[in-house]
Amino acid sequence: MILTALANGSQHGYGIITDVREVSGGRVRLRAGTLYMALDRLRADELIVVDREEVVDGRLRRYYRLTPAGAKRLADEAARLQAHAAAALRRLNLAGGMAT
Amino acid sequence: MTDREHLERAYRRLLAWYPRAFRRENGPEILAVLMADVLDGQRRPGLAQSADLIRSGLWMRLRPSVPASARTVRAAVRLMYAGAAISTVNLILVLAVTADAKVYHTVLGHRLTAAQARELNLTTLGITVLIVAALIPVALWLWMAWKTGQGRNWARGLFLGLLVLSAQHPVFGAVATEHPVFGVLGTAGIREGLVPVVFGPIIPVLTWLVGIAAVLLLELRASGAFFKSPGDGGPALHQAQMVELARIRSSSARWTRQV
Repeated sequence: MILTALANGSQHGYGIITDVREVSGGRVRLRAGTLYMALDRLRADELIVVDREEVVDGRLRRYYRLTPAGAKRLADEAARLQAHAAAALRRLNLAGGMAT
Repeated sequence: MTDREHLERAYRRLLAWYPRAFRRENGPEILAVLMADVLDGQRRPGLAQSADLIRSGLWMRLRPSVPASARTVRAAVRLMYAGAAISTVNLILVLAVTADAKVYHTVLGHRLTAAQARELNLTTLGITVLIVAALIPVALWLWMAWKTGQGRNWARGLFLGLLVLSAQHPVFGAVATEHPVFGVLGTAGIREGLVPVVFGPIIPVLTWLVGIAAVLLLELRASGAFFKSPGDGGPALHQAQMVELARIRSSSARWTRQV
């Protein structure tokens, strides 16, 4: 979900939280502790990097962006989910066709 | 003090659960995110938000800092945590069976003579020794996982040494099964469903398998690079791994200063 939030370009922490909430239709509500634990792991795995830092209203904002490895991981994961979804839909259509 | 200042102070206190190095680098940013999500008139952090910060802070303190590139070391550290989990199960069994044996003899009016109690090792001293003996392997597994995760080369040697030693002495979790209390419970048939005799060999065997697998992983050539100091890193050591190693070493040095 975090990688998806960064697919459009760099985002800061709070931006990722609101984006994830939006993309998931309000189902996933990331909390700050969980988010920074995940960001730290993604940085260690070199899937994201810090893009830039800004100070807004006296508070630090750090923007993160995907690395090429992060973009590849997201693309692979998306393709895998798409294949699963396609298989599920194909079978449901088949079952529906047999029922009617 | 305004509501916001009050809340910010409470959040700062919660951030103390994180390691100092992590807090120094990410604290202001996390605080900014927390303060951006504040409701009007809120003076205290929510329960879920507090629990999340404490959980993440503790995890950041305990987690192994092994980069993804050192896969074999990562797997070995995970196995060591599995070893700690198995030893914890052993500890729980020891506590359950000890309590059970005491209750059995008290409730059913089996007045034990001092000699019988000694034989069953149900004296206070015997029980204390039993519990401490079951706690030691849990602590050893966690300590080894932590130090191996930090890339300490001596931890690799010590782990192998401890495993060999445990063949002579049941340091790594075989304590409970060799204890008279378990034998008594097994044969007398008290609560056989709780701690049947079948538990006897399972825990030591599982512990051994996990230990041997971790040693083998740590001895692989791929693991060797992670344990080399940056000074003698050969061409096999990837540059990113060097950077990661420096980060781990500096954070562990800061941590050492802190304690």
